[in-house]
Amino acid sequence: MDAFLTSRIMSDILEGLTNGMIYGLVALSLVLIWRSTGILNFAQGAMAMFSTYVGMIVFAHDFGYWPLVGIAVFVGFAMGGVTERVLVRKLYGKPEINPIVVMVGFLIVLEAVAAAIWSTSPRGIPSPFSPIDWQLGGHPVALSAFSSYEIGTALVVMTAVAVLFRFTKLGLQLRASALSPEVSRLLGVRVSRMLTLGWILSTGVGTVSAVLVASNFFTGLTPQLMDGVFAFGFIAAAVGGLDSPVGAIASGVTIGIILQFVGDYVNSNAIILTALIILIVSLMLRPNGIFTRSAARRV
Amino acid sequence: MRRRLVVTGALIVLAVVVSMVITSSVRNGVAMAITIAVAILTVAGVTLPGLRDSYPVLFRAGVTLLVVDAGLFATYFFPSFTNYNLAIGAAMAITLLGLSFLTGASGQISLGNGAFMGVGAMIVAIWANHHATTPIVITLLITVAVGALVGLLLGLPATRLRGPYLAGMTLAFAVAFPAIVDQFFSWTGGDAGLQLPTAVTPPRWLTGLFSSHASTLTVSSMWLADITIVATGIAFFFMANLFASRIGRAMRLVRDNDVAAELVGVSLPRTRVIAFMVSAAYAALGGGLWTLINNSVTPPTFSLALSITILSLMVIGGIGTIPGALIGGCIYAYSTNVITWFTSHTGINSEGNLASQLPGIIFGGLLIVTMLFAPMGLTGAFKHLWARRRSHVVP
Repeated sequence: MDAFLTSRIMSDILEGLTNGMIYGLVALSLVLIWRSTGILNFAQGAMAMFSTYVGMIVFAHDFGYWPLVGIAVFVGFAMGGVTERVLVRKLYGKPEINPIVVMVGFLIVLEAVAAAIWSTSPRGIPSPFSPIDWQLGGHPVALSAFSSYEIGTALVVMTAVAVLFRFTKLGLQLRASALSPEVSRLLGVRVSRMLTLGWILSTGVGTVSAVLVASNFFTGLTPQLMDGVFAFGFIAAAVGGLDSPVGAIASGVTIGIILQFVGDYVNSNAIILTALIILIVSLMLRPNGIFTRSAARRV
Repeated sequence: MRRRLVVTGALIVLAVVVSMVITSSVRNGVAMAITIAVAILTVAGVTLPGLRDSYPVLFRAGVTLLVVDAGLFATYFFPSFTNYNLAIGAAMAITLLGLSFLTGASGQISLGNGAFMGVGAMIVAIWANHHATTPIVITLLITVAVGALVGLLLGLPATRLRGPYLAGMTLAFAVAFPAIVDQFFSWTGGDAGLQLPTAVTPPRWLTGLFSSHASTLTVSSMWLADITIVATGIAFFFMANLFASRIGRAMRLVRDNDVAAELVGVSLPRTRVIAFMVSAAYAALGGGLWTLINNSVTPPTFSLALSITILSLMVIGGIGTIPGALIGGCIYAYSTNVITWFTSHTGINSEGNLASQLPGIIFGGLLIVTMLFAPMGLTGAFKHLWARRRSHVVP
């Protein structure tokens, strides 16, 4: 048993799971916005990166790790709400490329502003958890205090979102206004508030993912930190289906594990190439995603 | 009446030009005489009554020839750095035109055209390093073909895609580009990139047209600007016809209403793949010309940031319009100069973080502002102003 737990295959699975949880979080964050407003938030990674930098200001004054996380997530919430009210609100009902273009513009502005203020050199955020792998019978298991913190946080956030949507009145209102804004409005749901709330939730989830990635001892925080993670998160969301939160998380984890194997057995360049091929093939076979029931498109 | 005006105008231009040639006889006069003769003949041809309506292709060819001719003529007088800027801007204009066609004619958007430029740039460098004697035209044609092929591969799922999927997929391609380059390290040289084995020089039968008095640097930059201008002319001429052709009309219908397009027998997959391939091929051509102009290629240039800059330029110029691509190219050619001027006049530390990030802030900001307040870009704004002026004259 010990030999199996420390084997190459098992450590790939565990490391892949850790990455996959992050991709799943990013994908979940994309799905939350897509479901409520029909917009793919290309600036999601950059917004999360920016909130983390703002949290970093607190950290730099020796307030410790947890206030950083709190401030970052709070800024993430605020940023989501303000962005929806100021930028996105003007884009509802416009041709579908307009929101894409605006969010891409926002992405590049945020990255440039962050680099202008905080420079492009990476900044470490030492988390209270050790990144050194646990030992089992003298061999490392590909699991450390830090990676279990990552997996655990992701699970907590995912569960919280699920509980919110399934079991609360607010969640019901959120789902109703995504499904049918007109009817919900007639039934007394403040749809416009629900749209803002959807963005707030989504950027909050996104910020958690950015904090986790940035706290990693081996990466640190850079303005372009989330470009790659966003690409993997988008691929996970697109493969799982942009409509399906469960699909997003499941395909995020699956892709994380597959890519870990590719990185281990082929080479690191093959990771993003494989991800691209997975995306292309899955879009050719199931353009609406694996986890969504294909619906006939209405005209 | 109007025709007589035109003829008089042409004669005045001729007089001015001839005196310029005589006064500036340091540079080669033969080439200038040719460009002037061509210009006058084209003006005479283009202004023939009824040509525009009866033979639109000929008309477009005439206009293109005139613009290209004017560009070639201008390169004789420009200093080498202006020629360099002109060439860089013209190559960018080709890329922009490709993206403009994709977006304006099929309603799709690509965030990977910077990476397609990178593909073209690498192909030219690799080919030149293995077959140094190939004429430039052939090298560029190969580049276009490879660009179209890569576009086809990536465009296969595009046939079934709606909404943001293509944008996301091309974004993933742009993010993956450095890894792709690194994967083929022995061919591409990884991040360091490649040098061209020899500088691009005019072929011997043309050297007579380029002044032997001028320095090698001047001749070389002029020749590069001339190649780029001619390539841009051909690319724009082809695109103008494509916009007006059956395929172009089909694409506009797909953009405006894909269901209607399917009902009248337009094949959506085919149309979308063609649009994507054309845009990739144009980007590859633009990138290939960049390699020739810079005499080297460094893959980190072709980052996601470049792809987004391309998108901003296209949107600022005007989505789906030919003048928009030209405007975007001009903006790009002079953006570095303008930003340098801006930093030196506002007292921003030119070595600091802010100065190095200004292009991103400015292009991103302009992208958002344009899309929110003037979605048709500068071309659309000009058209709007023009229409208002005319409606004031004739109430």
